[in-house]
Amino acid sequence: MRKKVLAVSVTCVAIALGFLISLSIQTQKDVEALDLLQSQRLSSVKNLLVAAQADGTRLKEEHNNLMLQLDQARNQGGTSPELQAQLDHYQMMDGTTAVQGPGIMITIDDRQQDHKTVFPLTTDDLMAISNILKFAGAEAISINGQRIVAPTAIVMSGSTKLINQVPITRTEGMPYEILAIGDQDQLVDYFSKLEATGLKQSGISVSIVRKTLQIPSYKGSYSVGKGS
Amino acid sequence: MPWSKKGKLLIAMASGIVGFIFVILLKSTGVQGVQTVRADTSIPSLVQTEQENQLMANDNEKLRQELSQYKEGQNANLLANQQLLKAQINAGLNEVKGSGIRITLDDAQTFSNTNNDPNYYLIHEEYIRQIVNWLWNGGAEAIAVNGQRITSTTEIFCSGSYIQINGTRQMAPYIIEAVGDVHNLQSALKFYFWDRLGEYQQQYGITRRLEVPTETITIPAGQLKKFKYAEPVKGG
Repeated sequence: MRKKVLAVSVTCVAIALGFLISLSIQTQKDVEALDLLQSQRLSSVKNLLVAAQADGTRLKEEHNNLMLQLDQARNQGGTSPELQAQLDHYQMMDGTTAVQGPGIMITIDDRQQDHKTVFPLTTDDLMAISNILKFAGAEAISINGQRIVAPTAIVMSGSTKLINQVPITRTEGMPYEILAIGDQDQLVDYFSKLEATGLKQSGISVSIVRKTLQIPSYKGSYSVGKGS
Repeated sequence: MPWSKKGKLLIAMASGIVGFIFVILLKSTGVQGVQTVRADTSIPSLVQTEQENQLMANDNEKLRQELSQYKEGQNANLLANQQLLKAQINAGLNEVKGSGIRITLDDAQTFSNTNNDPNYYLIHEEYIRQIVNWLWNGGAEAIAVNGQRITSTTEIFCSGSYIQINGTRQMAPYIIEAVGDVHNLQSALKFYFWDRLGEYQQQYGITRRLEVPTETITIPAGQLKKFKYAEPVKGG
């Protein structure tokens, strides 16, 4: 009787063991295959990224070259200085030219930290920030390299924030870098009193630095004057 | 006890092996999870870089065209004048006429329930900013609030009893007019905030009205902005 019970239980355990071992081997195989697939995908994405970044640098150089050539062509072609000055003025207003001047650089870090709860920055916050800077008389503003112009929309697409239809989410470095050119004292004063305090209460780190800045041009399109 | 010593030993060994295999199984599943996350983080930056490249390439194409026009010996002043007109329109210095939509926002006329926060009965700057933002997203060509053209530097800022727009004081009712594709502009308003304003309308009596006028909408020209600090970057 005793032997029988033992035999039955050992058989049961053996079957269970066999089943588990085979399952384990199967899973191990699957995982290895997946690992391989994942690492292949990862390296292909990385390769693409590196290629895209190299492309970007090349395009920027090309852009600078073209701008220089164009300036020369304009001078040789004899564009009147008054006309050129007016064109520059209008293009600073529509944001299609890069600008430089004194201003402030705001860096915002809303990444989670161990010792405190952080409420991440929302698109509403970004809208409020650019609005405050405009209120403080900013002449040009950019958020993560996107120039803020009249038709700029700041929206969420899934988990990604889009400005001028371009994703601005950063995976490395400071999550947000906001540049504004204008009266430095007024920009610092308005921004720190009206907006930075609230952000800091949400656990977000904010730093403001006065410096001479370059703000890139708006590279999207204008739809005004196309239809109707 | 029905178990022999040998049996107990066997069971103990078996349990040990089962536990071990179980741990291995769990571990391998865990590794799988981590891997997926790692692969995904570089995809957004790839999309972003590619999109920026695309924009830069478009820009370069435009410059190249302009340059070739110069090389073909076109009159430089003529070209500059064409660009000037385009920049003038883009900067919002011209009046814009066309089909579009009109949105009216107004404070509640009566405070029906004094227990509630009075803020619910008023129109705030965020409401206007949000609507303007979503209208741009819907491809609006030009937008004005109470006759103030929205330009690159327009602020919509609440200073207590009034809202400051382009340095002027504006009070309720706020009339937001946008020229553009009527269908696109209407679908652009299908966002959560618009629905919430609808709820406020029912609960607190604020006004949220959308009209699609048959007549053309006229968006006035904006003011010329003077620059004191910024200057164009040459060759950049």
